[in-house]
Amino acid sequence: MQFSNFQEFIEMGGYAFNVWSVYGMFLIFLTVNLYGPLRKNRLIIRDLKRRYALNAQAPATSSDFDSQSSPGSETIEEERA
Amino acid sequence: MFFVLVATLFPIGISPEPEVLGEISAGVLWISALLASLLAMDNLFRADFEDGSLELLMLSPHPLYFLVLAKNVAHWLVSGLPVVLVSPLIAYMLNFPEGAYSTLVLTLLLGTPVLSLLGSIGVALTVGLGSRGLILAVITLPMSVPVLIAGTLTVSQTLEGASLSGYLAIMGAMLVAAFTLAPLASAAALRISVN
Amino acid sequence: MDWTWFHKWGSPKWFYELSGKWLPWLVGAMVTCLLIGVIWALLFVPQDYQQGLTNRIFYVHVPVASISLAFFPLMAIAGTIFLVWRMKLADVVVKVAAPLGAWFTALALASGSIWGVDTWGTWWVWDGRLTSLLLQFFLLLGVVSLRTALEDSEGAARACALLSIVGGINVVVIKYSVDWWNTLHQPSSNFTLATDQANGPEIWVPLIFMIVAVYLFFAISLILSTRNEILQREKRAQWVIDLVAKS
Repeated sequence: MQFSNFQEFIEMGGYAFNVWSVYGMFLIFLTVNLYGPLRKNRLIIRDLKRRYALNAQAPATSSDFDSQSSPGSETIEEERA
Repeated sequence: MFFVLVATLFPIGISPEPEVLGEISAGVLWISALLASLLAMDNLFRADFEDGSLELLMLSPHPLYFLVLAKNVAHWLVSGLPVVLVSPLIAYMLNFPEGAYSTLVLTLLLGTPVLSLLGSIGVALTVGLGSRGLILAVITLPMSVPVLIAGTLTVSQTLEGASLSGYLAIMGAMLVAAFTLAPLASAAALRISVN
Repeated sequence: MDWTWFHKWGSPKWFYELSGKWLPWLVGAMVTCLLIGVIWALLFVPQDYQQGLTNRIFYVHVPVASISLAFFPLMAIAGTIFLVWRMKLADVVVKVAAPLGAWFTALALASGSIWGVDTWGTWWVWDGRLTSLLLQFFLLLGVVSLRTALEDSEGAARACALLSIVGGINVVVIKYSVDWWNTLHQPSSNFTLATDQANGPEIWVPLIFMIVAVYLFFAISLILSTRNEILQREKRAQWVIDLVAKS
């Protein structure tokens, strides 16, 4: 153990800003790149569910099934539903 | 023309002091050449793409490789060669160190075709796009860095009295590599973008 | 030679199921390595006699930077596989690797320059490694923006695959020419990693944990994005419909 108390650990021998900002960025980086895909996965599954449901109800309107819209652009469909 | 304009902006933007200018002149000339090549790049396949003659060229029995190469040579003759020819004059205006003029012209002569060849890959990839200025720059400029480095280093090494042959050999190698590989990539890129 | 193992990779369904089985193990291994690595690096690594406690940055910077260098080779290989064998999965990898690579490169640059504040005394030095990493960052952004600009997905896939191959070759040339440029311009920059690593196991064992953790993280993030992309592309396939119905 390099530190005798918590205060010293936070101060990092005077380099608190440098060390903690790098570790902070690392943490943000990890969260963004893990949480982002996971959240997107949920959105895609929700989106697909609605599309399949719509498709089952009215096969004639299957044209919007082909559209490349991403899960982010859901508002219009939500209004329609 | 664009080359001369950009090169003129540097003394205005940085300093008209002869010593300062002399120090940076090789870099200024190379960056101006790079930007001039990039600007002219846009027209490489554009007009042919828009009026459909590009598709006809691709249907022709000749290998696309040579057609692209011919396009590149033509592009270099109208954009690269004038830069090479006018560069001693601009170099003089920028207080370019004496004794390196021939090296400067020689490196530009070897380097500007590489810029054209590399740029044509980017242009071929983006030919179908409406607004592609930024994408073209982001793709092309980092790829041109080795040429820029080789060109300016050769000049600065000449001034320090080092032997030239090694540096010129590296530039020659770049030219040969770009000559053989870049048209292949451009041809493949054209096939992708046009279809 | 039996090539079925290779062609299996062409099946998105097969990949989706297999990666679903692997993911919990990968995540578990990553979290373990990361916790050990971070705690060890922050609390127990002795101070560097020159850099003091800033040597803790080393444990983030080195793994991240070493992976950023792997992105263009990865994308070039995947691009070749896609152009030669028309393997859909390879294109997915090219697509999701580019933004992830930009993230990694940005973090490597940021941590490198923060580290440089104390090691070199400034935020930015035109050091060989930093410069070539910056150029690589621009090239990755080029691949990402080309993908966004070309909406047609088949054409975009092939164009990006080609650009990845060209970029992959070019990154090597850039690396060597920047090193060459750097040695001629800055002979004073005598900072090397070798001196840091020669210090003994209490320095490099946590580093290995961190490197393994970051590599695993890279794999996990790549797999997660690949799975998303597969779901979106295969939305008309029966197995996706079944999968969505079950969830």
